[in-house]
Amino acid sequence: MGKKFSGVSQTMSRFRGWIQAGATLLTNLHLPNFLKGGLYQGAGKTVCVPGLNCYSCPAASGACPIGAFQAVVGSSKFSFSYYITGFLILLGVLLGRFICGFLCPFGWFQELLHKIPTKKLSTKKLKPLTYLKYAVLLVMVFLLPAFLVNDVGMGDPFFCKYLCPQGVLEGAIPLSLANAGIRAALGKLFTWKFSILLSVIVLSVLFYRPFCKWLCPLGAFYALFNKVSLFQMKVDENKCISCGKCARACKMDVDVTKTPNHTECIRCGMCIRACPTNAVSFRYGFGNGKEAPKKTTMEESK
Amino acid sequence: MSHGKKAAAQVTLLLAGAAMLCFGVWRGEAAMVLSKAIKLCLECVGIG
Amino acid sequence: MNMKRIFALAFAVLMVLALAACGTRDNDKMANGSGNGSAMTDEPKTAEEALTLHTELLEREKAILSENTELWEKVFMETDKGMAMIEDEKNYGDFLLGTVEDAKEQFTDKEYEWLKESTTEISDIENKVAELEEKYPEIMQKSMDGDMSMPAGSDTSTPPDDGSMQKFPAFEGKDLDGNTVKSDELFSGNAVTVVNFWFTTCNPCVGELSDLDALNRELAEKGGGLIGINSFTLDGNETAIAEAKDVLAKKGATYQNVYFDSDGEAGMFTMSINAYPTTYVVDRSGNIVGDPIVGAITEKKQAETLQKLIDQTIAADMA
Repeated sequence: MGKKFSGVSQTMSRFRGWIQAGATLLTNLHLPNFLKGGLYQGAGKTVCVPGLNCYSCPAASGACPIGAFQAVVGSSKFSFSYYITGFLILLGVLLGRFICGFLCPFGWFQELLHKIPTKKLSTKKLKPLTYLKYAVLLVMVFLLPAFLVNDVGMGDPFFCKYLCPQGVLEGAIPLSLANAGIRAALGKLFTWKFSILLSVIVLSVLFYRPFCKWLCPLGAFYALFNKVSLFQMKVDENKCISCGKCARACKMDVDVTKTPNHTECIRCGMCIRACPTNAVSFRYGFGNGKEAPKKTTMEESK
Repeated sequence: MSHGKKAAAQVTLLLAGAAMLCFGVWRGEAAMVLSKAIKLCLECVGIG
Repeated sequence: MNMKRIFALAFAVLMVLALAACGTRDNDKMANGSGNGSAMTDEPKTAEEALTLHTELLEREKAILSENTELWEKVFMETDKGMAMIEDEKNYGDFLLGTVEDAKEQFTDKEYEWLKESTTEISDIENKVAELEEKYPEIMQKSMDGDMSMPAGSDTSTPPDDGSMQKFPAFEGKDLDGNTVKSDELFSGNAVTVVNFWFTTCNPCVGELSDLDALNRELAEKGGGLIGINSFTLDGNETAIAEAKDVLAKKGATYQNVYFDSDGEAGMFTMSINAYPTTYVVDRSGNIVGDPIVGAITEKKQAETLQKLIDQTIAADMA
């Protein structure tokens, strides 16, 4: 059984690129809207998509959780969003940062850019920057929109407005190409956000997923749930020969043998493929599967 | 974290998440998300 | 051999001349009534002819005004500063000429020359028009009617932009206090009507409400108006109306806000807008002037575009 699941883990990580492509397509189903220059306006937009995907993208099939959170929190009626927080807790427990590795369109975008052959740089020494994303989550997504309000009690979506490169990539660029009115409206803010997008693009070529590591508030939220997520990494200590290949293969700077459920782990499975003895695999189920081996096998078969 | 404790935490969080989600929908947050998400957020895409 | 060559040459010259002639005639047709054109000099014999002439003259004036929009924009900016003017009887061309003279140093020699020529021509046209109107009082009304019923797209000289005229969808609705509002009455009563689409939870939309109120006051002095259309209030949703009123009151916005049924022509039009706020400029005949302005007019760029469209519409209305 355990062997079989490790086979599944291998396959999943091998076909990750296709899963990412599929998830991106499902997140942005309404492709003809790119030509029309309008948005999808159906009821699907009530529900959030798991990844970072701007709801002002013409093709978007759902709402962006981060954008939706700011919209609710920044409104004059509410200063907290139970709907989005509840949704994100559910996703965090059910999948955790698996979403970053497999389902997020912007993560995929950065990975594709990273495939451009150039000299690649390590982010190991930049580890302190990984804490920045929690500050972004707390300050730009929650505190500022909720409490820095105007005279009618409305706050700006600070993260969307000043930082999010996905909004420019999916929203501003395609819409301004298709719609002259929007093109005419582009101003200073667009220039600022376009420069952010450009920087993220350049950094993505040099570093692996710089936005996910340092800035993404959605990644930060899921990271908090990585330790309790049902989707987890499992290292079979009996098989592990401590060769260290997994840690070297990890582009998120995690040593899976020491901290299998590290906050930075996006479950991409590069360690699974790097392991010469098949000691590393995905595990899905309650608990940590260490206490009763019998029980673990049962849960794995789920 | 022991196996049992972790499982308990997971179950609790799932229930809490579901409860929060339902409460949010009940007080009208879902409708607000829809009304915002079907319109272009000019600030979000960098206009204005 | 030689003869043949001469003949060919002569023939070529003839062809060129013929083409040129065609060109000139076309030009004449387009610039009907320009300086030495027939409209300026011909005396109409009947009221019918007077009406055609009247229309032609106004067309020509509009054509001049929409010819060099950027330059005119500069002139209009100047007029805004010394707005005291425009009494009804004063010749609009003379007024513009005066403005151009006053702001002489702002223009290059070439621009100044062109402006002087154009304003003089407008002045002549205005004189002629006034003369006609005096002689044949009935054409005033008729020409107005003609303007109104002009089929969309036929009047290519008026719009400041290239596109053909698009009608603002007609509606019969209510304002937030329950008074009936009809689009044709609303538009025909204003030289220019600014229509602002917004919704209550849209931050930039709410941010511009007080600016829009100021604009409404300013427009009222110039014979224009401004209305808001809150997309949440369509079909008379009472909660939405109460919330919209609340926000409007908090922002001190007193201009009229209108709603109508969402399944009507204007309702569909509203639902098809997905960028908020969007602002339209509508002329007296109910045509949309220029492109819709996307984004809040609290931004300089949007405010300038809007002002330009307003000025153009008022100028065209006075012509």
